[in-house]
Amino acid sequence: MANFRRFRPDDLNKLSKCNLDPFTETYELGFYLQYYAKWPSLFQVAEDQHGNIIGYIMGKLESSPDVYRFSEHYLPWHAHITAVTVAPEARRLGIGKLLTEQLEVAADANDAWFVDLFVRVTNYKAITFYKNMGYSVFRVVKDYYGEHSTDPSLSSEDAYDMRKPMKRDVKKEHVRDDGEKHEVDPSDVW
Amino acid sequence: MSSYRYGRPALKSTVDVQLQTAFSDGNWSSVVRLATKRAATLKDPYYEAIKMCAQSQLDGTLEKCAMLVAIDDLVKAKKTPDIDTIELYEWACRDFFDYEVEYADTLGPLRARWAKANPGSPLALQCLQSCLENWDLVSAQQISTSLDKAYANTSDRRYMFWNIILTFLLSISPQCTDASRKVYSLLAVRQLERAADLTENSAKLEATDRGLLTEEEICLYYRVLHSHGTKEEFISRLKSPKLGAIGQLKDGRKVLFCEGLDALEKWGEWDLIYNLCREALTLGLEGTTAPFFVCDLQIWRKFASAASKTADSDSALAEVQATLKKYVDIKDQASAMYKKNISLALLETTFRLPATALNPNHDNAGLSPRVVQIGLFLDQYFERLSAFDDVKSYVAELGFDELKKLMEDVLPKILDEDADKARKIVLKALECKLRYLLTTCPQSLSPQPVVDGETKDKLFQCRICANATSLLCESCLKKLLVDASETYKQINGDKELLAAIPRLDKDPRLDLALVMGTSLLKLSKLQPRTSDATQSLWQDVEAGPFLQAVLLLDTQLRETPGDTELRLLLVQLYLLLGCVSYAYQLWTPLDVKRTIQDSLSPLFFDRISTLSPGLIQGPRPLMGPLRNFYEHSLRDKSPVRIWDAFSAGSYTSILDMTEFDGNLRRSCTMMMTLVEERRATRCYGGKIDCEIEEYILTENINDDTNLVGKTDYGPFPNLESVHGPSIHEYLRLGPGLSNERSHLGFLSEQYLDLLSYKPPKDYKPANASAVALRDREYTLETLTRLSSSMTTFLHAPTTPSLLTPAEHTYYTTLSLLSAALLIALSTPRSDPSPKTLSMVTKSIKTALTTLRTTALPHHHPRPGPKPSSSSPAWTSYTGTETHALACLHATATAIKHSAAFVLTFHDRELARDRSGRSGLHRDVLAEMKALGEVAGKSAAEVKGWIQKLKEGLAEGGWLDRVLDLVFGDQNDDQDGEDGVARAVEEVVAGERARRSGRGGWWRVGGRA
Repeated sequence: MANFRRFRPDDLNKLSKCNLDPFTETYELGFYLQYYAKWPSLFQVAEDQHGNIIGYIMGKLESSPDVYRFSEHYLPWHAHITAVTVAPEARRLGIGKLLTEQLEVAADANDAWFVDLFVRVTNYKAITFYKNMGYSVFRVVKDYYGEHSTDPSLSSEDAYDMRKPMKRDVKKEHVRDDGEKHEVDPSDVW
Repeated sequence: MSSYRYGRPALKSTVDVQLQTAFSDGNWSSVVRLATKRAATLKDPYYEAIKMCAQSQLDGTLEKCAMLVAIDDLVKAKKTPDIDTIELYEWACRDFFDYEVEYADTLGPLRARWAKANPGSPLALQCLQSCLENWDLVSAQQISTSLDKAYANTSDRRYMFWNIILTFLLSISPQCTDASRKVYSLLAVRQLERAADLTENSAKLEATDRGLLTEEEICLYYRVLHSHGTKEEFISRLKSPKLGAIGQLKDGRKVLFCEGLDALEKWGEWDLIYNLCREALTLGLEGTTAPFFVCDLQIWRKFASAASKTADSDSALAEVQATLKKYVDIKDQASAMYKKNISLALLETTFRLPATALNPNHDNAGLSPRVVQIGLFLDQYFERLSAFDDVKSYVAELGFDELKKLMEDVLPKILDEDADKARKIVLKALECKLRYLLTTCPQSLSPQPVVDGETKDKLFQCRICANATSLLCESCLKKLLVDASETYKQINGDKELLAAIPRLDKDPRLDLALVMGTSLLKLSKLQPRTSDATQSLWQDVEAGPFLQAVLLLDTQLRETPGDTELRLLLVQLYLLLGCVSYAYQLWTPLDVKRTIQDSLSPLFFDRISTLSPGLIQGPRPLMGPLRNFYEHSLRDKSPVRIWDAFSAGSYTSILDMTEFDGNLRRSCTMMMTLVEERRATRCYGGKIDCEIEEYILTENINDDTNLVGKTDYGPFPNLESVHGPSIHEYLRLGPGLSNERSHLGFLSEQYLDLLSYKPPKDYKPANASAVALRDREYTLETLTRLSSSMTTFLHAPTTPSLLTPAEHTYYTTLSLLSAALLIALSTPRSDPSPKTLSMVTKSIKTALTTLRTTALPHHHPRPGPKPSSSSPAWTSYTGTETHALACLHATATAIKHSAAFVLTFHDRELARDRSGRSGLHRDVLAEMKALGEVAGKSAAEVKGWIQKLKEGLAEGGWLDRVLDLVFGDQNDDQDGEDGVARAVEEVVAGERARRSGRGGWWRVGGRA
């Protein structure tokens, strides 16, 4: 049913199975193409037998700007998962996990210390998914999201910054066990 | 990014504070004054540049253009100003580049010269970036050559590959002259060949070596080779140990392998495909790569397909099976996705094997290995949402006896009697979908013997129910519908089942509703909306089952509002019915925005101006976001984010992004956006901002441009087999977007622009006669071009099949009008009466009559379903009629305006030239006047009919009358013996009972 391969710009014309799902955000063209231009190996898709995209992951490789090198929030060279989505019809087949693993392979190939991502603290399903894949909470970013996903009376929601160490981090220096206790402001996140 | 993109360039630090301040404040008069003084005192040409830059910001046209003249002088004199001056000039010229001032003729060459003189400067890189962002490939290639030479022995490998890729891009670009194209092609290939040889022949490459190291570099080589090299070279390299597909796979690089297979498939190199797939899959088994690294379905398909085409196909297919068996043995280690891929690969290989290889005694009857394999697959995956889609194509390949066995023996045995109720229902829903599929497969029919002299409308016998039938067995469809409705009601009546639904992949009622809905559409005799489809929906389609389908699916959408497939289906159905506002209500939650608009917007907006012009024009035009998307994405001449790809060394991304950008600039959806908006505005007599050719989006589109349609039909449900059209082809108003239709739309708008052009009021030429002469020449030239282009597109063999009949008449009329105007304006008064004009106008009148006959009901009594025969005509008025009516209105308006254009032209000429010599021929005027009057009458008829429609809608109670169309009057027995209508009614009513307080369509449930 699925083929895994690197994203191609023409795939943007075949995103409907993923992006018509209300939980998947559709970005500006430049946003997708920025990722494809800079980090093509971290932009992977799963396609069905008709060429429809039924899942994709977008990631990037970066470190914090040099000016923050001596900040406690400085992030060394790492991969970041920006978006991962699977079409409703292709769920429960482990496609999300396979896409994430492919990104981790690319992160290792690029000598990243870790892979990180942001997730709403109330998105228990996603948190469990990432925990099962070896990710752990590194810190809590207070009021990271401008609206709350489940409670309309709240104007913001916290995010977990989750991380998984890559091969380079032999001593596991970039993860911690008590990440839920480390709170930071959105301005500390780059 | 050049600094000018963020604001004014910084002046050199040596410039005094006073001048710096005036410049940063934008105090241009002061800047001119101060810079003039400094230039005189210091004799530094930089101050002349500042002065000119400041002058260009003043209002005077002369001052603005002085900058261009200066640049032109520099380019012609082959002088190289300093980089600060270039920056100033570029900033000052920034607005000119959108208006026919080519960067490649102005700043590009200056940048290239400067970079050539200063290749070691970091600013040379900025020159390259600027040229790339302005898509001046000639200058960019020159700069990259300079940079490559300067950095030949460094570890920054990008310069070498920038040079190669820009040489390649230039070689395939229209910017390259034909004379140079071959040279650049060869240059790109040879440089890469040399690099590839170095890699193949070196034990280990250093970053400073000019070989191929990274995956991007290697893939670039193959892309260039594929484009400019020979097939033999490509194949030879693909087999090589280091740079070959298998060698790269061993290094964990899959891109080349996949791209290589695609190329080989196009060339039909089956032996090599077979060998590569075998080797690649063996690598996984041996542990050289991750076990399931290449275990994609397309690899298995290519492997099996290639094996069946090799010389010794028997042993090759045996090898495929043996490899697959090894994967089956380790399947437990795989993720669910790869397990499923392996199961599908088993299916694929079973179907590709010759029947004799599967079972020597096989008689293609009953429980064949193919049926067994489908059974095994469904046994594992029938509960998955995609199960039907996974097996659909295989089931459609089965012989009738196999189908029978599958449906009667295999499928029912998948679950035991005591299996979970919810699972049983899921299986039942799948069975219904498969039964529907069978009705679309030709193997379920056999030809009926024809008795001499007897004509039969039922030429076949259904092998399932044994009834005589046409191509579609109505009896089977009706039975399926009744069965599906029973299952539907069973679910709704069982609390346990209802409670189980959230745990399932998909609500089975949705599948059942889709089966019932599509069955009803087929029973209504709906045909694909191709060019030969009748204009009136009800002419061939029975309203009862059609509207029952809509009602049923609409009811289901309320139960499962999150299902996009169903929602899209309904959007199309309502558009077909002409209920545009409601269709828009359904469309809105899909949230089609930003990037996906290009592929999905045609599903709602195509031909929308003919259905509901009011919806898309007004203070907040609905198509605004779509136009903004193109204006924003195509604002720059270069592909979006192209410099990012250069910086990152993503060479294949550069090639793909360039191709994507080219397609987006030639998008049929983009042309649709512009044309639909303008038509809607014109419909309401609104003011059109500018001529269609003046839009920046159309600047490079001419008759030779191949406009690209990328509409995504992927999200539609499709229960049909490959033997017939997909469901979306039944539901749209007419053929989808195409190059030919888009061009005709573009040309017709150009024609209408010509008619509506009025010179600015304050334009008072000194020599009015000379200007009038030039205007006339321009008009004649434009008409000649438009007439010729429209005729060419209309006469293309495929064009009629790409338009609705009403569109065809509209475009034909406009083509004839342009010819008529050409004759009218070019026939001297002294000549005899032009006979060709009367022939053309006669054709125009005939076309108009044809459209009136189709679009206006009193010209053409509509056959309709029983209830409509006693209803006012407007109750049977659907989207198809509205479309034809809009085309009639547009045609009549175009004729009226054309006639008015000729008469006004004549009056103007008479007013200017009292001698009357430049006026038009008397017979021409009479002919055009008569034509205008005929068109005026038609336009008035359209207006009158629309008024009637409005009044009809205002009468009230029309919904009841529409509902009568659905199930007939209470006293009618529409149900017949098949019980279809009652089955649908019960499903709808059942849902209503579960949901109270609904209006509109829901009132129908009150009857149950």
